[in-house]
Amino acid sequence: MTGNRNDLEGRHFVEQWRETAAYLEANHAYDPEWEHGSCGVGLVAAIDGKPRRQVVEAGIAALKALWHRGAVDADGKTGDGTGIHVQIPQDFFKEHIRDTGHEPQAGRLAVGMVFLPRTDYEAQERCRVIVESEVLNHGHTLYGWRQVPTNNMVIGDKANATRPEIEQVMIANNRHVPDPRFELDLYIIRRRIEKQIAAEGIKDFYICSLSCRSVIYKGLFLAEQLTVFYPDLLDERFESNFAIYHQRYSTNTFPTWWLAQPFRVIAHNGEINTLRGNRNWMTAHEPRMASDVLGDNIVDVLPLIPRGSSDSAALDAAFELFVRGSTRELPLVKSLLIPDAWEKRDAMPEHHRALFSYCSSVMEPWDGPAAVCGFGGRWVVAGMDRNGLRPLRYSVTGDGLLIVGSETGMVPIDETRVVEKGRVGPGETIAVDLREGRLYHNGELRDLMAGKQPFTDWVKRIRVLDQIIEPDHEEPTTYSREELLRRQLQYAWSMEELELVLQPMVADGKEPVGSMGDDTPIAVLSDKYRGLHHFFRQNFAQVTNPPIDSLRESAVMTLTTRLGNLGNILSEDASQCDLLQLASPVLSNAEFQALRDYLGDAVVEIDCTFDPSGGENALTEALTEIRRQTEDAVRGGAVHIVLSDTASSASRAPVPMILATAGVHTHLVRQSLRTFSAIHVRTGECLDVHYFAVLIGVGATTVNAYLAQEAIADRHARGLFGELSLVECLCSFTDAVDAGLLKIMSKMGISVLSSYRGGYNFEAIGLSRTLVSEFFPGMSSRISGIGLTGIQRKVLQMHARAWDEDVVTLPVGGFYRYRRGGEAHAFQANAIHTLQAAVANDSYATYRRYVEQVAAQPPINLRDLLDFREGQRPVGSEEVESITEIRKRLVAPGISLGALSPEAHETLSIAMTRIGAKSDSGEGGEDASRYRPKPNGDNASSAIKQVASGRFGVTAEYLNNCREIEIKIAQGAKPGEGGQLPGFKVSKMIARLRHSTEGVMLISPPPHHDIYSSEDRAQLSYDLKQINPEARVCVKLVAQSGIGTVAAGVAKAHADTILISGHGGGTGASPQSSIKYAGLPWELGLSEVHQVLTLNRLRHRVKLRTDGGIKTGRDVVIAAMLGAEEFGIGTTSLVAMGCIMVRQCHSNTCPVGVCTQDERLRDKFTGTPEKVVNLFTFVAEEVREILARLGFRTLDEVIGRSDLLHQVSRGNPYLDDLDLNPILVRADDGEYVARCTVDYNEVPETLDARMIKDAEPLFRVGEKMQLAYGVRNTQRAIGAKMSSAITRKFGMYALQPDHLTVRLRGSAGQSLGAFAVQGLKLEVLGDANDYCGKGLSGGTIMLRPPTNSPLQTYENTIIGNVALYGATGGKLFAAGLAGDRFAVRNSGAVSVVEGCGSNGCEYMTGGIAVILGEVGDNFGAGMTGGMAFIYDRNGTLEERLNPDSITWQRVETEHWDGELRGLIEQHVNETQSSHAARLLDNWDRELGCFWQIVPKDMLDKLDYPVHADDALTVSSGVAD
Amino acid sequence: MAGEMLRFVDRQRQMPEKTAPEERRLHWDEIYARFAREKAAQQAGRCSQCGVPFCQVHCPLHNNIPDWLMLTAEGRLEEAYEVCSATNSFPEMCGRICPQDRLCEGNCVIEQSGHGTVTIGAIENYITVKAFENGWVKPIVPSRERTESVGIIGAGPGGLAAADRLRRLGYQVHVYDRYDRVGGLLIYGIPNFKLEKDVVERRAQLLADGGVHFHLNIEIGRNVGFAELREKHDAILLATGVYKARGIELPGSGLGNIVAAMTYLTASNRKGLGDAVPEFDGGMLDAAGRNAVVIGGGDTAMDCVRTAIRQGAASVKCLYRRDRANMPGSQREVANAEEEGVEFIWLSGPEAFLGDAGGPVTGVRAHRMRLGVPDSSGRQSPEPVPDSSFVIDADLVIAALGFDPEDLPQLFGEPALTVTRWGTVKAALGTGMTELPGVFAAGDIVRGASLVVWAIRDGRDAADAMHKYIQERAAANVPAVAAE
Repeated sequence: MTGNRNDLEGRHFVEQWRETAAYLEANHAYDPEWEHGSCGVGLVAAIDGKPRRQVVEAGIAALKALWHRGAVDADGKTGDGTGIHVQIPQDFFKEHIRDTGHEPQAGRLAVGMVFLPRTDYEAQERCRVIVESEVLNHGHTLYGWRQVPTNNMVIGDKANATRPEIEQVMIANNRHVPDPRFELDLYIIRRRIEKQIAAEGIKDFYICSLSCRSVIYKGLFLAEQLTVFYPDLLDERFESNFAIYHQRYSTNTFPTWWLAQPFRVIAHNGEINTLRGNRNWMTAHEPRMASDVLGDNIVDVLPLIPRGSSDSAALDAAFELFVRGSTRELPLVKSLLIPDAWEKRDAMPEHHRALFSYCSSVMEPWDGPAAVCGFGGRWVVAGMDRNGLRPLRYSVTGDGLLIVGSETGMVPIDETRVVEKGRVGPGETIAVDLREGRLYHNGELRDLMAGKQPFTDWVKRIRVLDQIIEPDHEEPTTYSREELLRRQLQYAWSMEELELVLQPMVADGKEPVGSMGDDTPIAVLSDKYRGLHHFFRQNFAQVTNPPIDSLRESAVMTLTTRLGNLGNILSEDASQCDLLQLASPVLSNAEFQALRDYLGDAVVEIDCTFDPSGGENALTEALTEIRRQTEDAVRGGAVHIVLSDTASSASRAPVPMILATAGVHTHLVRQSLRTFSAIHVRTGECLDVHYFAVLIGVGATTVNAYLAQEAIADRHARGLFGELSLVECLCSFTDAVDAGLLKIMSKMGISVLSSYRGGYNFEAIGLSRTLVSEFFPGMSSRISGIGLTGIQRKVLQMHARAWDEDVVTLPVGGFYRYRRGGEAHAFQANAIHTLQAAVANDSYATYRRYVEQVAAQPPINLRDLLDFREGQRPVGSEEVESITEIRKRLVAPGISLGALSPEAHETLSIAMTRIGAKSDSGEGGEDASRYRPKPNGDNASSAIKQVASGRFGVTAEYLNNCREIEIKIAQGAKPGEGGQLPGFKVSKMIARLRHSTEGVMLISPPPHHDIYSSEDRAQLSYDLKQINPEARVCVKLVAQSGIGTVAAGVAKAHADTILISGHGGGTGASPQSSIKYAGLPWELGLSEVHQVLTLNRLRHRVKLRTDGGIKTGRDVVIAAMLGAEEFGIGTTSLVAMGCIMVRQCHSNTCPVGVCTQDERLRDKFTGTPEKVVNLFTFVAEEVREILARLGFRTLDEVIGRSDLLHQVSRGNPYLDDLDLNPILVRADDGEYVARCTVDYNEVPETLDARMIKDAEPLFRVGEKMQLAYGVRNTQRAIGAKMSSAITRKFGMYALQPDHLTVRLRGSAGQSLGAFAVQGLKLEVLGDANDYCGKGLSGGTIMLRPPTNSPLQTYENTIIGNVALYGATGGKLFAAGLAGDRFAVRNSGAVSVVEGCGSNGCEYMTGGIAVILGEVGDNFGAGMTGGMAFIYDRNGTLEERLNPDSITWQRVETEHWDGELRGLIEQHVNETQSSHAARLLDNWDRELGCFWQIVPKDMLDKLDYPVHADDALTVSSGVAD
Repeated sequence: MAGEMLRFVDRQRQMPEKTAPEERRLHWDEIYARFAREKAAQQAGRCSQCGVPFCQVHCPLHNNIPDWLMLTAEGRLEEAYEVCSATNSFPEMCGRICPQDRLCEGNCVIEQSGHGTVTIGAIENYITVKAFENGWVKPIVPSRERTESVGIIGAGPGGLAAADRLRRLGYQVHVYDRYDRVGGLLIYGIPNFKLEKDVVERRAQLLADGGVHFHLNIEIGRNVGFAELREKHDAILLATGVYKARGIELPGSGLGNIVAAMTYLTASNRKGLGDAVPEFDGGMLDAAGRNAVVIGGGDTAMDCVRTAIRQGAASVKCLYRRDRANMPGSQREVANAEEEGVEFIWLSGPEAFLGDAGGPVTGVRAHRMRLGVPDSSGRQSPEPVPDSSFVIDADLVIAALGFDPEDLPQLFGEPALTVTRWGTVKAALGTGMTELPGVFAAGDIVRGASLVVWAIRDGRDAADAMHKYIQERAAANVPAVAAE
């Protein structure tokens, strides 16, 4: 049926893709491991366990309502994958067998759904042979193969080109074993087949399922085409008691059939952030695995995780092992692999805590956003990870169906038949026991599991550190001043490090904060000694998974470190709890000693030093020796290995401990010995949190930074820590390290240290590839660099200096702040002054001098090793496009008003507008007065409006006054982290723009709370294109390895511009270790994005922009050649306005008034638009000169032309090889040009298009109107486009609150009422999904069950997660429960709901939330403004509050009593909630059950006091 | 402790108290009082702790100014002194006599942005005063003695800085000077009210106590041959300074009582040190009761005018051909001089000296100048305004027009010592070595007349180069010594 044209085109693409991908991979420019996926997921189950056709149909229907959560390729047909997992209709298959003339046996047959190589017939045949022989070898027989009917017309060309031959193999239970045994046989058979196929190197073979119970139909078509592609599923005999379905959204655009879900046990929506650690640990666990169930066949299923598995596939493999290979049932397996947080959960019952404590004794969790739906034979489960960052809603119908899914409303059901509507909360699981026919809610399920074994007794065997160390122990010091100094010098410590890093860690218990970007050379380019940790960049989450807020959501985070050899994870007994538990992996000297004494003979210490005169290979030999000794020790029974460099001296140099640790860890893993011992590291080099993180990340169990401790003791002795005792100082230091570790884990979205350990959550920059593959296998290192020889050389240089006799003091430093003789910095005094002179005097000649000064610097950035390839005939400069044209591509990147002074912020905007270029508002809103040009014509409205995680000042009006909207996912100086604007910076004006209170701290959360996944980001992009249908949408990312695939996902979600920020980007305030050790140079990120987008034929759909340290026209042209079309110049434009790199932005004392809110300092501002215009003009002029010299007339001609660059330096001579080829290789751009040709990527219309048409009289004559529609979950962002129209026509505040009422029946899609403005009222009879009321800007939203629904409003969920995120005004009344993170970052909306999930009112800064029922854990975390009233009938509220920033009390004053009652009355009026009405009826009694929650900072700032005493004082003047 | 810093926003700049002009005219003491402890800490706390410390960048010694300011603010004076002295051989001198307003303080970021500079010099001075008071400054005790010796010609700041550094490395250091005291310009050139002489003597004593051998009253080429000296030492440093006063050839320049600045200042300083100075006692070099006219606008001119005031001159005038903004001398010194009663006559150049032939000068005829277009260096060159002559009464004229090098090849009898066309010694950039192997040169004799702080810097650099040179030679001769 398929046409030739399709086939050819698809095949052409596939060939070209494979070729290019292989080329890029060979050049280290691309790694398929970077691909990500995420999606929509769900299940339907018949609670009574009896198969029904209805279940399958509901599953199919649900997929049709999920399309917006998946991605579609440019051909409109190739989806990212979808599928369904159902019971095998035995009759259906048996009839097929009969049709072939055979009579099937009694009992169940098994069906294998198999993908075979389609075009390679020989391979196809070989696969069949392997399958058949394994089945036969195991004693079963085959009925034969069935070619599965498919309709290939519905799939896209690309999907078709990679389409496998899809067949089913039907197997008879010839051994006549019971079904469970048959099922186990099939598992073993499948694993044996898979191993055999892999051994023979056959590609494109995959078994979707092989089971006598269930079968999986999946493939690369759009979700709604499932039954068209697989007509089997339309057969009425397809009945099932469960159906698990999945729609994938992948960053990968290469059509890969087998990565479609569901997998054999689970379907997973999310991302396993700890994948690498989990894989490594799984490998480590394997040698100890023993299973009564599998017996000797255990060897057939190991190694467990096949190479090339996605995170979901790997997790599925683990699930499958436990479900099939142990006696644990599926719900317990879920608790083991994806446990809830329990350590800091006081509200959790003791026996549940014991259950989870036991689980964490067995193995490390798989951590990351995860909503999973799974089928294990007897059980189906739907569960959530501890952070609950994926939605999972469910309904239970009166006829016994459980319907679970990422969204409510996917399966159309009669509302009157629904008996329960709920959601699976963080860490929770619901399950159906299909055998017993019972639905278990989370608590019941835990009771059941906890009752299976005496876990409470078992966990009593765990010992803690406090039991083995004296409470009043002392911390002895060892070294003299001189020895201390020499040892410090060995590691190149400087005074700066002690003063700027160590001092605040001890004195304040916090990591130090700095500002502005890192402008020092990347470690490999520096000619100074750089500790090995400098070569590691922390990984961070962006787009496909969210970072966590380790401060406000600390309850889910843990550093608990358990010591003891790890046992057989498949067994279940008390001895698994024989271990020693530490609260932190960081040990002081005394703690280390106590631990050592306690462990006694189980410890072997390995000396990690080497002889400096041992020749060229001394270090290499030492590392080999360390590994050999460790292996011997472990084989000899050592349970604890101590790696120590304490023996370093004049005659012994220390082995870099990161190498020693990683070497030992990988060696033990390779030798299958890692789980037999813990690795304790004692190192002198370790001082800052990054070093600790690297050590643990490469496998250390505990770390003792003995020299840091000695340095603290020395400073303590000198009285530098005031009144603190030495022990207190050390505690403080440990606290700072702990907080830093939590932060580093959380930015990657990891909450559990045991899953972070050994996970190599870093990428190397400038480490030799050989070194990486030997010591840090799997970690990416794109450009190679220093190897063991170079490292040895550097260590010995420092060794010689440290033990030189003339040593007197530490060097002063210069790494963080410029010092003569220290590190080079890109912004140096003379260049700063020259540039300022040039722009002040409008002198291009002076600017040229600045360019020369910059060029004369030693290499700092990768681009400094590149130069242009000349050779083409130069053209006359008059032929090159004009300065005006070039300037339009330059951008003043996002720097918030709040960081910048208003003067500086406006100056930038005005300047950029004057030259027709764009400035970016940054986070924090913009004064509405800037939306109209000034009398002189200057326009101070930023052309780009930023939407950041704090959503400060993001209103409908703000979003409608721009040409582009930028979603800031991450920022170069602190990717994956949030921020705080301290109270002293929140001036009156800032408070007004941000809808907050003057003087009260504001918090930006680490993630966007409406972006937990790719599909969420696509949704935000969609919402923004609704609220401003003309603005381009830009997504700002930070360079990291794998950013190319992230960008592909972004491009597929209709973004118009992608901004790749380099690590050198500036910041107003950020932890020093983040400024220094996170993010990559933009050269790497940009080139990768350009390559991968080109590879996937997406490049022409998006513009690429880059920023981060761009200083000259040369930088601009290099960026263009690496793929950028637009260029952000941030710090340099600040310098043009007078910034002199004081780097004190965070302290509000900018002496030149650029970056401060202090009036006295703002007076000193000397910047002018002219100076900024001059800068951008000079840069453009320089670009023209370069283009002319190279023989080009426009910038367009050089975009992506990396072949015009060549490497002119390979760095220091002692490097292995510093090879920039990975950034210079070009992907074949095929028939599309490798630059953007699409102005704007359209998105599908939603209901608003109809509404706007229907509301024509409103816009024509201003009539009040009421509209009514039915609604589905696929109709998203309802009200946004209407709000845009209203804002543009009338303004944001002009209409009466209910001028236009829209009544909707059904389940509304995500982002209902996003950015809705005053005048628009949305009434929903039904329910709504996530992000309801996102950015609400004055509109009203009302939700209630239909009148005829039997549901109790206060028991059933009506809106999804993250409602009212970033709302600035308006009202929400919802007669039902809200999901997690209700009213997060709300700064003005007033709302009434009848209960909510965890993290309610997080980061709230304004508005009122009235909650007429239970709330989840961690309520009010980071809440610094606004107010909440909570109805607490059971008296359990207090343990669910996060007390850090709020206080609570009963409603004491008449004013607030009246306010509260008034809101509940409105709620009753709007929703007719009988629950609320009952409360009003008994108000006198019920008022006593309410708590009033008020942020501490607000207590003295409220117009009406909340305490009765204060009210008295005010009214009568009587003091108490 | 970060709270101690960045206080420039709410804390005004304050210098230590200055003695009132009418009082300080009467004596020779330094004019600035010392900071009290709290004051110094408070003023140090005004530092902005810049990411790019322009103060350090513009300090010839690249002193780690922000760091010792922070330490001072935190009361960690001993550490402050350690940091301070790590880059500067004689911080007690620099704190007193550096024209900070043209170097660190002039480039201080908060000064540039209009908040008033951090009083860096005064704080440096405070640190060193405390360091000496508390005995933190100790004679050098090298960690090992080396057999190699070095000869340093000139006991001025450059020579002494080199001596200090080389001695710390354990070399046998011999310093030769033609004067009878150690210090060069520091002792004889700079007046007491800027640098009290016991400060210099104390430093000289410390060096001597640390094992530096001083050979005074030795003139190379006369008392000792240059070749002989080269024979004796493993390396030689020329740090003679420049002493030849730039002449002033005008009608009447042969008249009496027209003296060179250095002659005048040396006499005054010797007097202060208690030496017998016949020319002073004879009145020729004493400004007491006379109308003194100083010609020039550099720091030496400033020293002369203020010396004349203290000697009790009837009037002191300073004649300079450019204006105040374009003078090379320190603005702070001009202000001090004005306070003390000196009259500046800007934009005026001498045309002729008046007086009876053979007799003393009685007046200076000068003409007005104006500033022309800037030249390539950006400096405006002055040109006379026609018909603008005027006469100033004068019975003592001090010419402070700068210094040129003496003819060293000739003095030393070493023609192979090559010099530039300005007479300065040719030394290789980077190593400081002259064209004679093992002979190095540093300070004014290389760069021409300049600041003390530059001499210290050059001396330190030269010492490092000499160390490297000697060690490399040693390594070449004795190959058995283990390499690193």
